[in-house]
Amino acid sequence: MSTAVVGVRYAVVAVAGDDDLARRLTAHGLWPGAVVERLRHAPFGDPVLFRLHGFRLALRRTEAERVTVVEVVS
Amino acid sequence: MTGNATAAGVRRVALVGRANAGKTSLLMHLTGSLQRPVNFPGSSVECVESRVVVDGLELVVTDLPGIASLQATSRDEQLALDVVHGRTGEHQDVLCVVVDASRLPVELAFLHSLRRLGLQLVVALTKVDVAAAEGFPIDAARLQQALGLPLVVVHGVRGAGVDELRRLLATVPTDVVPAAPGDAALAPGAAPILPARTVRSSRTDRLDRVLLHPFTGPVVLLLVVLVMFQLVFAVAEPFIGWIEDGQGLVSAFVGGFLPDGAVRSFVVDGVINGVGSSLVFVPQIALLIAFVTIVEATGYMARAVFLLDRLLRGFGLSGKSFVPLASSFACAIPGILASRILGDERDRLATIAVAPLMSCSARMPVYVVLLAAFFPPAQAGLLLFLLYLLGIVVAVLVALVLRKTALRGGDSMLLLELPAYQRPRFRLVLAHTWFAVKGFLRTAGSVILVATMVVWALGYFPRPAAIHERFEGLRAAAPAGEAGLAQRAQLDADEAAAYLEQSWLAGLGKTVQPVFAPAGFDWRMTVGVLAAFPARELVVPTLGTLYSLGEVEASADEPDVRLTEALRTAKGPDGRPTLDWLTALAVMVFVALCSQCVGTLAAIRRETNSWRWPLFTFGYMTALAWLGAVAVQQIGRALGYGA
Repeated sequence: MSTAVVGVRYAVVAVAGDDDLARRLTAHGLWPGAVVERLRHAPFGDPVLFRLHGFRLALRRTEAERVTVVEVVS
Repeated sequence: MTGNATAAGVRRVALVGRANAGKTSLLMHLTGSLQRPVNFPGSSVECVESRVVVDGLELVVTDLPGIASLQATSRDEQLALDVVHGRTGEHQDVLCVVVDASRLPVELAFLHSLRRLGLQLVVALTKVDVAAAEGFPIDAARLQQALGLPLVVVHGVRGAGVDELRRLLATVPTDVVPAAPGDAALAPGAAPILPARTVRSSRTDRLDRVLLHPFTGPVVLLLVVLVMFQLVFAVAEPFIGWIEDGQGLVSAFVGGFLPDGAVRSFVVDGVINGVGSSLVFVPQIALLIAFVTIVEATGYMARAVFLLDRLLRGFGLSGKSFVPLASSFACAIPGILASRILGDERDRLATIAVAPLMSCSARMPVYVVLLAAFFPPAQAGLLLFLLYLLGIVVAVLVALVLRKTALRGGDSMLLLELPAYQRPRFRLVLAHTWFAVKGFLRTAGSVILVATMVVWALGYFPRPAAIHERFEGLRAAAPAGEAGLAQRAQLDADEAAAYLEQSWLAGLGKTVQPVFAPAGFDWRMTVGVLAAFPARELVVPTLGTLYSLGEVEASADEPDVRLTEALRTAKGPDGRPTLDWLTALAVMVFVALCSQCVGTLAAIRRETNSWRWPLFTFGYMTALAWLGAVAVQQIGRALGYGA
């Protein structure tokens, strides 16, 4: 998800790991099937802002790397 | 009127939901006011509890810290979960789940996990308008049907739907918990109630285009910070002046009833001055908290964190450190309290440990007097800027070292939701500010008062009669009437200086002075620095007394001319000046880096729940301050500067 491109819709496939971060990511809506969109990034390219479930979630690149996504053709 | 709760006449309701879901606002509407903050045993986290009577049944409603899942990752969240699970000793009869309609799918997943607790749930659906504006109009009737739970749509700002919610909370049976309508309907991701997004670009999207823009974003952020500084320094100034004037009036009034002597001095210089020293912080703290609350409530604070995260992470901090650190330029105490928003414990401790290095407004009068005495205006401005910069640079270095040593490791998280922009609620801002001021007076204020009284006692006693007799003789010799007025006033000031010079405080100063000798401080400057302990405001008045000037007021904009003159011309026993510009610079560097402020240390003690962090902060800052002052003096001398 860290390499997601603006303007493309992605679906979450999996969240790697079983630690606090993984649980938090899931609790924030990044579960398999969730559709995410990259909106923009902060100065220096990090963190990155995504839209999912209609709200905006900012993740550091290292956090986004935990989430595997696939492009959604729509 | 049903269930077992009626018999007891009291029903406990916990407000559960994410941070920013609108819980506090809802509580105010439910019960009419925020009545008291409650501290749970073993934690410093504060919740607000409020009571309201509905048809003879008393509802006790507690606003819990925001939680997003049943797994805690911060102290706040742990507390909220302890309350939900009934581990704090009080069983909750009803959980009022505040569901943010603009984040419905995630909220439903959380609601699903809450159902397994077996408690009666009542859903308060908030921000339906935000959801609609974001392109997700929500059909509340269908949602309620799907959930099989009592549900009320409430409007956080207008308070619509709150009457119904209150009635529902009071009457919902607590002994029969409705079964979930089958896991499939609520499983993560399955949200049939949610329509497809219809609006492409909402108001928030359009605002974000400017406020998060790579160029205009940082510019706006800078402006916001400037406004904050302006509030703290310029807007607060007249209020501070009124408090000081008020203190003067009270002192004069009360002092008039008391005979000259220890009792009057204790009441005026110990008690009233101590209360004044605490109250003088209030305008800045109130303005700062109000401003931060407004910025937070609009949704901009999360944007500031987003913009600054990468930068601050380079310094071993987090984007979320921005709020506590920026607040600390006014006063480290609210800054340290604000560090609660940091989820990661290591980030939080690093932020707390460096917050007192931000040059707080109480250091200003010291800078102003010394700069005016020894530097031309053009240089003074630059030096003032450099002193602020010094604090920031040292804070960054200390944070980096801490994260590489004592606070090593741990993946700090950002995981930050940027809420839709909203209009802040005036009453909420008022309530937050009120609680912050009360909290300050309770923790820091009382410590400042006690410390002021201790410093008063050290500076007052002992009072040998010989000094009094000597000055009585001199006063008698002065010409009577108008002619001797100035001379007698000078004698009074000299007497006060003579008393102070042989007080325990001066004894302490003279004993400690060798430690400060390499930095070039004479015993008077050492006493001034020691007197700063209760509050830095005391440095300037103490120096005033030491230099036989009588009453000298600390001021952030107009230094007392007599004091600047006295500092410039002060001579030691050997006839050489005791202060030159190099020593003045050393004193300012010391003041910039030291953490001699009992209020700050008390706040750190409270927020870390241990003595380790206040002691560590005091220790490292005093060591750095001393090293800095000595370095300025010694390197300056070696280069041939100074007198």
